[in-house]
Amino acid sequence: MKRKGLTGMSFSSAQYILRETLNSLKRNPWLSVASIVTVMVSLVILGFSAFFLANASNMANMFESQVEIAAFAQTNLSQSEVLALEDRIKSMPQVASVELVTKDQALLEFGQSLGGKKGDLLSDLGGTNPLPDKLTVKANDPQEVAGLAAELTKLPGLETVSYGQGVVDKLLPFTRWLRWLGAVVVGAFTVASLVLISINIKMNVFSRRREIQIMKLVGASNWFIRWPFLVEGLILGWVGGILAALIVGLGYRWLADYVQMTLAFLPMVQNSALFWQVLFGLIFAGMAIGAVGSAFSLRKFLRV
Amino acid sequence: MIQLNNVTKIYPNGAKALVDVNLRISKGEFVFLVGPSGAGKSTLVRLLFREEVPTRGQVTLNGRNLVRMREREVPLLRRTIGVIFQDFKLLPNKTVIENTGFALEVLGVPAKEVQARTRSVLDMVGLSHKTRAFPGELSGGEQQRVCVARAIINNPALLVADEPTGNLDPETAWEIMDLLYNINKRGTTVIMATHAKDIVNQMKKRVIAIEKGRIARDEEKGAYGYEL
Ligand SMILES: Nc1ncnc2c1ncn2[C@@H]1O[C@H](COP(=O)(O)OP(=O)(O)OP(=O)(O)O)[C@@H](O)[C@H]1O
Ligand SMILES: [Mg+2]
Repeated sequence: MKRKGLTGMSFSSAQYILRETLNSLKRNPWLSVASIVTVMVSLVILGFSAFFLANASNMANMFESQVEIAAFAQTNLSQSEVLALEDRIKSMPQVASVELVTKDQALLEFGQSLGGKKGDLLSDLGGTNPLPDKLTVKANDPQEVAGLAAELTKLPGLETVSYGQGVVDKLLPFTRWLRWLGAVVVGAFTVASLVLISINIKMNVFSRRREIQIMKLVGASNWFIRWPFLVEGLILGWVGGILAALIVGLGYRWLADYVQMTLAFLPMVQNSALFWQVLFGLIFAGMAIGAVGSAFSLRKFLRV
Repeated sequence: MIQLNNVTKIYPNGAKALVDVNLRISKGEFVFLVGPSGAGKSTLVRLLFREEVPTRGQVTLNGRNLVRMREREVPLLRRTIGVIFQDFKLLPNKTVIENTGFALEVLGVPAKEVQARTRSVLDMVGLSHKTRAFPGELSGGEQQRVCVARAIINNPALLVADEPTGNLDPETAWEIMDLLYNINKRGTTVIMATHAKDIVNQMKKRVIAIEKGRIARDEEKGAYGYEL
C-alpha cells in the first residue's frame, strides 16, 4: 500500500474527491441551489452591514474631527511665553495637535475681513492689540475632550478654554452610539448568517448520514469522507460569495450615487480600497464558511 | 487470531446482548455462529470490526486490543476485515460496480486497478451483467451478492458474514458458500452467523451456539442443533 500523508490524499483520492463532489452536486441540484442562495443572502446582508459600519464610523469620525478646544492666552504674556505654553500643551499625552494663532495674525485677519490695513486698525485701536493669542487644541480621542479642557484650564497663562460644551456633550454620545450600532448590526448578522448556513449544511450532511456510516464501516478514514464535503462546501460558498459580492458591489455603488445626488450633505464612504476589501472578504468568507461549516457539521456523524 | 475475554455487551437501552463471553478463534478457521433470533450473534460479530465496543471485557484481534484502540486506527483495522452485513449496507446512490470498488477506493487504489478487480469479483458472485444498476433496482439476493463482492475484494485476513445467505434461494446460497469455502481455503478466517441449518450440517465446521447472550455450545465439526 502507498504511504499517505496526514490527510490521506493521493492522486487517485484526488480524482475520487472531484468525482464525488460533482456527483453530489448533480444528485442534489436543489440542495446545492438552496445552499448557494443561503450563503448569498447571508453574505449580502453581511456585506451591506459592513458598509453600514464603515459609513457609521466614518460619519462619527467626521463629526468628531470637528471637535476642538479653543484656548486663549492671557493678554499680558510675551511672545516667548506663549510659544512655551504651546510646547507645554503639545507635550501633553492626550493632545493630537495644537495650532497657534498669534494676536498679530488674528488682528491681521480681522483687519482684512474689515477691508482695511493692519496699521490703520492698530492705530484706530489706540496702539494696543486687544485680541488674545489663540491656541486651537485637538484631542487624540475626541471622547476625552471635556477632561482635556478641564486640564487646560488649570494651566497658568491660559484664560478662557472652551470646546462648544453644549453641542459636543450631545454629539459624543451620539457618535459612540453610531459606532456601536454599526458593530452590533455586523455582529448580529454574522451570527445570523452562520446559523442559517450551518442549518443548511447540517441538512445536507444529515441527508447523507447513512452513507457516511457505511463508508466508515467499510474502512474509510475521516478525511476520506470529509474531503468531498469540504470541496463541495468550498465550491458552493465560492459561488454564493461571488453572487453576494456582485449584488453588494453594484448595490452599494448605486446607493452611493443615489445618496450623493439627492442628499449631498450625507457623505457616503467612497473608499475603493475598502470597497474591494469588503467584496473579496465576502467571497473569502463564503468559501471559508462553506468548507469549515461542512467539516464541522460532519464531526458528529464520523463517530461510527 | 481472535480472542474475547469476559465480554459483556449491554446496549444503551438496557438490552443485554452478550453476557460474559469467552472465545478463541485461530487463524484460518471456519466458524458458524448459530442461535435463536436475538441471541446476540450480530452483536458478537460487530465487536470484531469495532462497530460496537463491549461494555466490559476485552476483544483482541491479531494481538491488537480493539477496546483500547484509538479512533484513527479503526479505519486501518476495518480495511483488513471483509464484512457481509445482515442489512447489506450498500450506498444507494452508487452503482453495483461503484459499491463494490468502494472498499478499494478507500485504500487509494488507482482507478484502473479498481475497475479490473471489481469486474473479476462481480464475475465471481455472478453479477457481471448488472454492474451499472443501483441497489434499489436489485433483488434482495442480488444486493446480498454485491455486499459479498465488496467484502472479499481486498482479500481480507478475516471475513465476517452476518447471514450471507439469508435472502438467497438454496442454489445461490450454495454458490455463496462455495465462495466462502474457497476464500477460507486460501487462508482467510471466516466467521458466519446463520440460521441455515442445511448449510451448517453439511459443511461440518466448528459451530458456536449462542443463547440469550451466552455461549451454549462450541463444537468442532458440529451441527446446527436446533429444530425450526
Ligand atoms: N443497536 C441496538 N440497540 C439496542 N439493542 C440492540 C441493538 N442491536 C441489537 N440489540 C438487542 O440485542 C439483542 C441481540 O441482538 P442481535 O442483533 O445481536 O441478535 P442476533 O442473534 O443477531 O439475532 P438475529 O438472528 O435475528 O439476527 C437483541 O435483544 C436486540 O434487541
Ligand atoms: Mg443478527
